Amino acid sequence: MKRNVIVLSIVVLVLGLLSLAGWANWQNRKQAAERALAQQTQAVLVPDGAGTPQMTSPLVGKPAPAFTLTNLKGEKVSLASYKGKAVQLNFWATWCAPCKIETPWLVDLEKKYGPQGFEILGVSFDDLDKGDKALLAKEKADIAKSVDQLHIPYPVLLDGDSIAKPYGDNDVYPTSYFVDRSGTVVAATFGLTSKDDLESNIKKAIGGGK
Amino acid sequence: MLRSRALTLAIALVATAGSAVAIHAQMRASVAAAVTYLFPEQITVVADKPTPVDLHFKVAPGMHVNSHTPRGEEFIATTLNVPETSGVRLVHATFPPGTDFSFPIDPKEKLSVYTGEFTIHAELSAPRGEHLVEATLRYQACNTNVCMPPHSIPVAIDVIAK
Repeated sequence: MKRNVIVLSIVVLVLGLLSLAGWANWQNRKQAAERALAQQTQAVLVPDGAGTPQMTSPLVGKPAPAFTLTNLKGEKVSLASYKGKAVQLNFWATWCAPCKIETPWLVDLEKKYGPQGFEILGVSFDDLDKGDKALLAKEKADIAKSVDQLHIPYPVLLDGDSIAKPYGDNDVYPTSYFVDRSGTVVAATFGLTSKDDLESNIKKAIGGGK
Repeated sequence: MLRSRALTLAIALVATAGSAVAIHAQMRASVAAAVTYLFPEQITVVADKPTPVDLHFKVAPGMHVNSHTPRGEEFIATTLNVPETSGVRLVHATFPPGTDFSFPIDPKEKLSVYTGEFTIHAELSAPRGEHLVEATLRYQACNTNVCMPPHSIPVAIDVIAK
């Protein structure tokens, strides 16, 4: 009887260890796959025609990674619901001075190209302390305040960090992805460019994927 | 002839890809190390008495970080934190004033930033003994057209209080 208990305990222990090893192995493989995905979508610097290094994204020519985020009103917004429209995903943060410089250009450009089916989705990369209700409310209020001060009319989505990986984890702001009507990324810009540059990419998004 | 052209093209492609990877790696490295802690690594203070210590930092060339008193509450100030668990207390810290910086495209908008080397005049107090302080400097860095998320670097100081 006692021997049976010992044997049973050993069997349970071995099975437990095997399960633990299997789980650890699955976790490792999952993390490796996530790292590989981030590397595949991470922007790289390549020399342009004049030899100046320019950042480009491997996402160009590929479907824009799907996401659902919440806007400042707490409503869920999915990229999928914008299919059939040309979209500029503008990754920004309230603390980003160059983002503030380009915002009036974006507002103008959306006004100009809106009638042609163009929309901008601002995605805020401000930190959100989800574990602290009071702090979280303050952080959301601060983002809303900035949106008001910058007179941003387009939707601003929260918690950009949660979609950073599929978009390359580039950690530079502002960043914009231009998505055509079929949901394909046709261009990407990293850092402050120019209004003309943004407009030319918007035209690509409007003209593509018809 | 055709083989030689193909070989030249392949070499050019490999070189371009190689330089792109090198430039990318260089940029990622500069992002990670926008600010470095220079010195001191070890200080000797009088036990239980606030002692002035100058902490020296360097901002990477071409980059800037907000000063301790940025213009605009939305900007993230450079701050120094000494954990309470270290046994060493940060009694006071005087940060240098920032210098004006404007983005070339918007010269009217002035930011208060640190560039190059800057020094924080701190006052530390520690009980008798040797303490390894793992302080942190938090900052938010940008160059002339991009900004990086807020980041913290360790400021490790061996404090000997006698």
